[in-house]
Amino acid sequence: MPYPILDPTGTTATRTTRPPRARRRRDLRGATVGLLVNTKQNAAPFLDEVGRLLIAKHGATGTMARTKVNFAAPAPDDLVKEMTTGCDVIITGIGDCGSCSASAVADGIAFEAAGLPAAAICSDAFRVTADAMAELRGAPGYRYATTPHPVAVLTADQVKERAARVLDDVMNLLTEPE
Amino acid sequence: MTPAPDPEEAQAAIEYCYAQGWSDGLPLVPASQPLVAKFLATTSKDPDEVIGELEQVGRNCTVYLAAINAAMAGCLPEYFPVVLAAFDALMRERAARGGGWQSTSGPAPMIVVNGPVRHELGFNTQGGAFGPGFRPNATVARAIGLIVRNAFGIRPHVLEQATQGLPGRWSICLAENEEESPWPPFAVDGGLQPGTSAVSATLLRTCEFVDNRHTPDPGQVLWDVADTISRTGSLIFRDTSAGVVFCPEHAQMLADAGFSKQDVQAWLIEHCGRTGADLRRAGKNGLRGIARFADADTSQDDTFSRILPSPRHIPIVVAGARNAAISMVVRIFGEWSGTAGPVGVSS
Repeated sequence: MPYPILDPTGTTATRTTRPPRARRRRDLRGATVGLLVNTKQNAAPFLDEVGRLLIAKHGATGTMARTKVNFAAPAPDDLVKEMTTGCDVIITGIGDCGSCSASAVADGIAFEAAGLPAAAICSDAFRVTADAMAELRGAPGYRYATTPHPVAVLTADQVKERAARVLDDVMNLLTEPE
Repeated sequence: MTPAPDPEEAQAAIEYCYAQGWSDGLPLVPASQPLVAKFLATTSKDPDEVIGELEQVGRNCTVYLAAINAAMAGCLPEYFPVVLAAFDALMRERAARGGGWQSTSGPAPMIVVNGPVRHELGFNTQGGAFGPGFRPNATVARAIGLIVRNAFGIRPHVLEQATQGLPGRWSICLAENEEESPWPPFAVDGGLQPGTSAVSATLLRTCEFVDNRHTPDPGQVLWDVADTISRTGSLIFRDTSAGVVFCPEHAQMLADAGFSKQDVQAWLIEHCGRTGADLRRAGKNGLRGIARFADADTSQDDTFSRILPSPRHIPIVVAGARNAAISMVVRIFGEWSGTAGPVGVSS
């Protein structure tokens, strides 16, 4: 063949270094829990309830909730900085759409790099896209918590029940050494 | 006479492209360096210039990658300035820079071409405006889809999470029927001079026809359009955006009755909307911020809520044949930036 067929993707380099993972805490006693809410329906009450349970059952002292205005994009640097300064661990979610599931995972990876253990929570319908984003960020196999799809239609009581169900996974993500 | 190409070689090359995962499902034209060089020769831009970036996935598109994808889509080299202008136009849309390509709604670009370039390159400006059947219209739109797939790496079932997607996702490229439109070209609404070869673009969630060919009353036609725009199914936020691609007959009927494009937009802003009771029946009467939700409150049942906040939320294009009074409501994903870009000029 005189000429090769050209590659339309422009991808040649593959990352070899894994991004850093924050040191895990032994427990959450005395910790401030950062809640990064992505504005998806039920995300705020879901994360609030997870925060409340971490205080009630695991000795966290408080929460600091912030809202990410653009759910599709990773959290802006100043927001990451503010939460890294004010919090000890981060919970981000709810990944419940094509772009926001991926970006919830990207946020988790960004907070890990900033030194904070993070737990991203995604609806289980978006595992593939969340995993793909982890790979793009050089963190293949990045672990996050899932809750069954759908989330947006849940009542207030159902949201609380879901938060309780995901709590052990969130704790494990925040405290378990890899 | 030039001998016919070897079909087995061609088939092997096509299958090679499939095997690499580059295809949108249909056969691709295998791109070679001499072919891509012809594309690059149509623009003054540097092949390495980055023309689009998708921050959240850490990918970008250069002029060179766009050329490869345009060649693979079946474009002729001379279409390439239109592909670049279309891509540029889309990258001005907030929804396309954000999570639009990854979205569960699976939106389609709608590309609108204006000016002399339509005829110079043989775009279809007449019947069957939404396709198929015409190489420039079909391949320019497809080139954008291949750029998103290959250069940005947004592939179905992976980073692309369309629940159902929509018909025509990478195939809507209208060349406005300026010759039979009573109004200024769409690119003028986007801020350019009449007669400019230009491309505008936005993202659509779907299209729905308005078939109204039995009334001589432009008011009745507008009511029919308004009813279609006002469906609850597409309402997810307080406001919405819906364009109208008028057929020449409807556009001329309206113009003959004294309606400018701005008059039509003002009429639709006034009349598109639903009552609180209608919205409540569909579980969309409540507002949390700008998002609609099901609220048990019935106090607003008799209140009429308008849904189109400004003329920019109702872009109006004229396209298609003058053979029937059939227009199209196009449901816009997010909102149109209100800009058009000239073909062959860097932004």
